[in-house]
Amino acid sequence: MSPKNPILDNSIARASAIVDSNGAIGVPTGMREHAPDPGRTAHDLVIETHGLGKRYGDHIVAVDDLDLTVYRGEVYGFLGPNGAGKTTTLRMLLGLTRPTEGRAIVAGAAPGTPDGLARIGTMIEAPTFYPFLSGRDNLRILAMHAGVPSSRIDAVLGQVELGSRSGDRFSTYSLGMKQRLGVAAALLKDPELLILDEPTNGLDPAGMAEMRSLIRELGRGQRTVLLSSHLMNEVEQVCDRVGVIRAGRLVAEGTVDDLRGRTREWLQVRAEPLEDARHLLEGDRRIDTVEVVEGALRVEMDECDVPAINRLLVNANIAVSDLHWERASLEEVFFELTQDETKGEPA
Amino acid sequence: MIGSIAAETLLLSKRAATWVLFGIWVSLAAFFGFILPYITYRNEDPGTPGAVRASLTELLPHEFVGTVLGGFPFFGGVLILILGVMTLGSEYGWGTLKTLFTQRPGRLQIFAAKLVALGLWLVVFVLGSFLTGAIASAVIAMIEEAPVDWPGPWSVMRGLAAAWLILAVWSALGVLLGVVSRGTALAIGIGILYGLVIEGLINALFDQVSVLRPMIDVLLRANAYSLAAAVGASTEGARDNGPGSFGGPYVDGAQALAVLVLQLVAFVVIAGALLRRRDVT
Repeated sequence: MSPKNPILDNSIARASAIVDSNGAIGVPTGMREHAPDPGRTAHDLVIETHGLGKRYGDHIVAVDDLDLTVYRGEVYGFLGPNGAGKTTTLRMLLGLTRPTEGRAIVAGAAPGTPDGLARIGTMIEAPTFYPFLSGRDNLRILAMHAGVPSSRIDAVLGQVELGSRSGDRFSTYSLGMKQRLGVAAALLKDPELLILDEPTNGLDPAGMAEMRSLIRELGRGQRTVLLSSHLMNEVEQVCDRVGVIRAGRLVAEGTVDDLRGRTREWLQVRAEPLEDARHLLEGDRRIDTVEVVEGALRVEMDECDVPAINRLLVNANIAVSDLHWERASLEEVFFELTQDETKGEPA
Repeated sequence: MIGSIAAETLLLSKRAATWVLFGIWVSLAAFFGFILPYITYRNEDPGTPGAVRASLTELLPHEFVGTVLGGFPFFGGVLILILGVMTLGSEYGWGTLKTLFTQRPGRLQIFAAKLVALGLWLVVFVLGSFLTGAIASAVIAMIEEAPVDWPGPWSVMRGLAAAWLILAVWSALGVLLGVVSRGTALAIGIGILYGLVIEGLINALFDQVSVLRPMIDVLLRANAYSLAAAVGASTEGARDNGPGSFGGPYVDGAQALAVLVLQLVAFVVIAGALLRRRDVT
């Protein structure tokens, strides 16, 4: 995945992604609050939240003190496990749910106001339409409400390749067709900002690939896409920048490479005899930690010392069959970031 | 706003339930308003003790407005309450409210569009039943070789307006119940229970307690029957109206009009406020 503007994205990553005291990647509130990147101005902010929160009663905190910034033209992944607060956040951004704390500006307007909604296309959770109407008539109803010319209906149906079944009732659609109609409805206004909540839910692998390709296509140019997902590979394939939410709080924000790069990296070593290799490396001052994982050594150290370590092992008559530098996968990063600190389980 | 109204009108028109309710209502209006009374008139034995003598006069064109109107305060009302519930309650069931509320118009504009569309459909219900009544009364007049004298346009207009207002109040109650319960099943159940049982019980109970008796004057059915009576519906017919029977006390026509308008406004305002304030989940 390559950011559309590497200079801007890298500078944002440098400014925003840091490792907090617990080792998790975090972004200090003060840095996030107002466009951390000098290359981007407030004008480039499409979504901006400050201390956004949603509480139900005294005990349930769905979203807590959320500071989110999404810039014009980027595909922003909003990543988190089920129940982390993603959908509640998106609902607040669209004015469907009222925040109990904080504020948000979305597409230049307060959430849920006609000015903002005119520039936003969205699909929240499962696509919901009138079951007794055809796909086309559902879009017609929405177009009439939104003041969109009916010529847009054919355009968006073609975009999601639903034209041939558009005359059939929505209730007869497969899950994949419903998802595509949801995306078509989101595109009806030719919006500046697309907010998509788990758009590949329920799709088969081919459908998922198609949907991701479509989202990448939609994210080209000046259109901004906010994509909520709990699928790491989806975000990795589609998004320029990612925010990770855990238990209602944003715990990390940056590019995918940045998130992955700032977590653990290690040297993977397969050698015989393994115990001798471990003892040897544990005694070396250049090595931080050595552990045995699945029959191989996981060695944390500086990457520039790899040739020297290889020489050290060979000179000690240890047979090295594999030696390569490894980084945590995004999945591992995600698991680390979203792990419940008290229970050791994803939050 | 015009686009939203057109969208909501189209939505109601494309919904099979709307046409089913319309068909049921027109059939009921014809059957209970004209066909059954005429069969009774033709076949009853005047010598039978306690027999209700059906009046041919009420079945003829000159009286058709009052005869049709007699079915609105209860049967028409309860039926149209279902349409009111469906207009908003179904949106919760399908989850389409969030789809609508993320289009361009604000919540209140969409709510207003739904109400206008519902109001337009009420016009169709009223015209349909009046047209059916007019045809049925003309057919009876021809069979009986009675004169086909139509009521004056003012009488017809007053009848149409009263019928629309009565349906509007019942449908607004349905809208409110749909919004409060965020669905259809409970709202329809409560609405029908209110129309069939609760208001009748309250009426009977309050009528026996002098301090509570004035409360009867603000009940929906009592005012709907009073308005219908003021425009020509038979009070005798209301007394024999099966589960929707109403024996009074009747209030003044102007008072009934005012109370019904206030109820309509109250139901709409409360439903609108709830819809605007509450989270859409």
